[in-house]
Amino acid sequence: MIESLFVLSPTGKVIIEKHWHELIPRRVVDFFNDQVSKAMAEGEDVTREDVLPIIASPKYQLINVYRDGLTYLSPVTKEVDPMMVFEFLHRIPDIMQEYFGQVSETVIKENFVTVYQLLEEMMDDGFPLTTEPNSLKEIVPAPNILNKVITTMGATTSVSTRKMPHGMSNLPWRKAGVKYNSNEIFFDIVEEIDAIVDSTGKAVSCEAHGTIQTNSRLSGMPDLTLSFVNPRLVDDCSFHQSVRFNKWESDKVLSFVPPDGHFRLMSYRVNLPSQQNLPIQVKPSINVGANGAKFDITVSLRNTDGKPVENVVLTLPLHKSTTTLTAQCNVGHSEAAANAGYNIGVEFLINSHSLSGLKVDVLKLFNESYKPYKGVRTMTKAGRYQVRA
Amino acid sequence: MSDAKFFQRGKIQELRLELNSDKKDRNYTRKKQTLKKIVANMTMGNDMSSLHPDVIACMSIPVLEVKKMVYLFLINYAKAKPEMAYEAIQTFRRDVEDPNPLIRALAIRTMGYIHVDKVTACLIQPLRHCMRDQDPYVRKTAAVCVAKLFMQDRHLVENAGFIDLLREMLVDSNPSVVANAVAALTEISERSDHIQLQLNMSIASKLVTALNECSEWGQTYILESLMFVVPQEPGDAEMLAERIAPRLQHANSAVVLTAVKVIVYLMNYMSREEDIHSMCKKLSPPLVTLLSNGPEVQYVGLRNILLVIQKHPEILKNDIKIFFCKYNDPIYVKMAKLEIMFRLASEHNVEQVLSELKEYATEVDVDFVRKAVRSIGRLAVKIESTAQRCVEALLELIQTKVNYVVQESIVVIKDIFRKYPNQYESIIGVLCENLDNLDEPEAKAAMIWIIGQYADRIENSDELLDDFLYTFLEETVEVQLALLTATVKLFIKRPTAGQDLVPKVLKWATEEVDNPDLRDRGYIYWRLLSTDVAAAKAVVLSEKPHISTETDNMDPVLLEELLLHISSLSAIYHKAPTTFIPHCKPRFLIPSPALRRQNYNAGRSLQHQDSYSSLQNSAQFQQSQSNNMRSPRSDGDDGGNGGLDEFVSSPKQPQHQRLSYHEQSFEQVAEASIGNQEYYEQKINAENPYRTDTGAVGGSQPSKGGGVDLMSFDL
Repeated sequence: MIESLFVLSPTGKVIIEKHWHELIPRRVVDFFNDQVSKAMAEGEDVTREDVLPIIASPKYQLINVYRDGLTYLSPVTKEVDPMMVFEFLHRIPDIMQEYFGQVSETVIKENFVTVYQLLEEMMDDGFPLTTEPNSLKEIVPAPNILNKVITTMGATTSVSTRKMPHGMSNLPWRKAGVKYNSNEIFFDIVEEIDAIVDSTGKAVSCEAHGTIQTNSRLSGMPDLTLSFVNPRLVDDCSFHQSVRFNKWESDKVLSFVPPDGHFRLMSYRVNLPSQQNLPIQVKPSINVGANGAKFDITVSLRNTDGKPVENVVLTLPLHKSTTTLTAQCNVGHSEAAANAGYNIGVEFLINSHSLSGLKVDVLKLFNESYKPYKGVRTMTKAGRYQVRA
Repeated sequence: MSDAKFFQRGKIQELRLELNSDKKDRNYTRKKQTLKKIVANMTMGNDMSSLHPDVIACMSIPVLEVKKMVYLFLINYAKAKPEMAYEAIQTFRRDVEDPNPLIRALAIRTMGYIHVDKVTACLIQPLRHCMRDQDPYVRKTAAVCVAKLFMQDRHLVENAGFIDLLREMLVDSNPSVVANAVAALTEISERSDHIQLQLNMSIASKLVTALNECSEWGQTYILESLMFVVPQEPGDAEMLAERIAPRLQHANSAVVLTAVKVIVYLMNYMSREEDIHSMCKKLSPPLVTLLSNGPEVQYVGLRNILLVIQKHPEILKNDIKIFFCKYNDPIYVKMAKLEIMFRLASEHNVEQVLSELKEYATEVDVDFVRKAVRSIGRLAVKIESTAQRCVEALLELIQTKVNYVVQESIVVIKDIFRKYPNQYESIIGVLCENLDNLDEPEAKAAMIWIIGQYADRIENSDELLDDFLYTFLEETVEVQLALLTATVKLFIKRPTAGQDLVPKVLKWATEEVDNPDLRDRGYIYWRLLSTDVAAAKAVVLSEKPHISTETDNMDPVLLEELLLHISSLSAIYHKAPTTFIPHCKPRFLIPSPALRRQNYNAGRSLQHQDSYSSLQNSAQFQQSQSNNMRSPRSDGDDGGNGGLDEFVSSPKQPQHQRLSYHEQSFEQVAEASIGNQEYYEQKINAENPYRTDTGAVGGSQPSKGGGVDLMSFDL
């Protein structure tokens, strides 16, 4: 159970404070800030990201999440499921993103009454309650233009005219009565490659994480079935709660009633057997001398189905003691800034390409009579991809 | 319109006027604005409580947004000013009967937060109604409200029939209501002395059906409650686990990990090996998937994985690559991964693991590098076939001359020497080149142990020891003990080389040093050497107990308890919850005909309560344990340099039972010198008399005649 929540600004000041149980004094925030600065003073390379997500204090366990400069801190005194706390803490910025378009100290302050109302609905007595944006928007109106017009015009939004929340239908993720003039649904299949490649170009470990991001703008209660040409490529997957698991087990199709708007339909993992699968090869050669070092890094393309590779970025962090640096490249441009270690971070992007080869076959719609517009995009990019030199 | 401007410190008087202004306020727009300002100020910590009569007056405004703000205000201040809550009671009474379910729910929820007796008294009746409200939103809010009420007044909840009402809700037609009722019941059961949740199979089966339809959080509550099902037949456990298994593929990692917990729990009640095997197979992929999340989730996942694979080693045994560290992983993730890598290391993958470890040993983070170096040493001890390569890797690392790498390497090489005697001593020469840079006690002690142990092989061992002895009096006790023992070993192995050093060291240890352990050990050596050299040799150079990495395994009783707490703080810290969380109910495997015999329990009763109480009274536990530990083959030098460090220790001493080295060396000393059980036990119980006693029994006597005896021996 989550007892309290503090949202801290980048400087460690309290922006939001909410207690579901006893009031936990703000001292705890000072203690936390001390611990953070202590941890960061431990080494030159220690960043805010290296601070433990669970810090023990004499009285509280300080569970915290750091995202986009803001800290979401939840001190607890009793045994909790930390996984649940982390999931919940991450939902807060997710929902704020959904409501306000971005998350920052200023945005929270600009909308703090909405934020408090949201927190009130998202959690009751320390139990996470409603965190589906679809149902939340039924209870707490988003500060959109229409609402603003209504309030400034003085039109009525009084209680008596409000409808029942439909979040309590048997599909907690979908509200009823959704209506669009043009019905459309888009799927983005994004695959990210996580890999560690050694200096000879051999992959030490390598796997792809795929997600199917969906944007549904369909009226009524559409019941969808999405099937793939080659569903068996996928190793293990996790689904949005709308997906009927049994259908996937038996027929390898995704059968679901989508929530309205953006959501992640499915994520999956693909084990990549060997290095041929990697679309890009990076070969570093490093010669360290007494007064300096020379790095030759060769990047070559392989196996992209003829699709262009875009946005290739190589990051070679150098030790802090580096004094001068010159960089040249045959294609593109280079920027120099010193850091630490001999590892090369690699980023790239390939459109209309799926590394695993996963392809959508058909999308069928039941329960509604209209013909929606369907769109599928695929994209492969580097996730946590690094080359050891 | 932006709310930021409300953050200016509003003057109370101004706000009051604004709130009470009788200007035309269509649809309460102005009131809403003012309330926003008040709430904003309140959240900044400005005291707005004096505005309460004016704010409460707004409660009757039939606008939901206004109501919500007034309620926020009430929750915030009611505790400090109960009279404020009294004024609101009338409106609450009206609101709980409002035709709008949102308002009914809001009123119940708010009243639950106001811990004022009068309000609570008014809550009971409406709460009962709300638990049977026709609207599910109200019902589910009411369920949580019971849990809230319980925190305030256990007695009231236990006696006013609320528990029965909650129980009725378990078969509600709406899955969200079921989930909240389950959550409330679990919460109450965890806190109450009288109420213990226990679900039978038919309820469990209904709950699992509701799983499919409720929200992600509802799923975690329901899954958690399944920990209170005690399967009476293996078939029940298998069936439940099978039905829960789809949750392993949920997008929410809390759902996934809770499902893992329940399945691991149910496996205790399964009978057929193939069922357990097939469940284990299902558990691997979701655990791997956890690691593709953010670093916090990875961290929780990793700590729990470490528990699960100790119980079921077949899980993840082929997935070691997932745990390879990326250079930009947060340091705490790297550390957790490293432990799992070590545990998953086997003959099949040791090549890869070693090359990864070598890679990590060259990174920049000191703690991580140390742990990597240490892991290389542990790997050598764990897997014999790789020892040679590990030693080579350590030698390479020593060549880097990076100070902390060298020191860490020496610490683990000592263990490799112990594990594989007469195999790798050829590298001693390399180690000796690095003596001058050792500044950490552990590394020094390890090096000194090596010199003492191989005093007859190292040509200049006497000179090396002499160098260390130069600063004897400034060293830490750990190093001093090592020096003392090493010098005695040198003397026994090469009497002529050691004869100048031994009296010096013994004199320092017994006369110049305050530490009783050191003094005692000094006396014992002194007496041994002076009375019976053969005995001294037998004691000091006795065969050492074998070391292995098996003792890295957690104590099975603790492991079993932690497995019932997967996905909790205890599972992160690897500590029993009762040791750091006040008023926490212990969990244990409840016996049933289906419960599998736990192998560690071979001779013991299955009553977990026993093992629990022994854990709780750990002081008592340690004491009895230490009595068993007294082995006839006392290794005279073990106490000094550990010999049992954090990672490698003698198999006789499971981790949490291991004594701190003070106690341990005391014990060995006591055994060797006096061997008197009564004396020994008396000492453990009372420390102070011990000091004076020692002086009387062993102290004065040898210091008078000891020197003479010793010399006579040498001739």
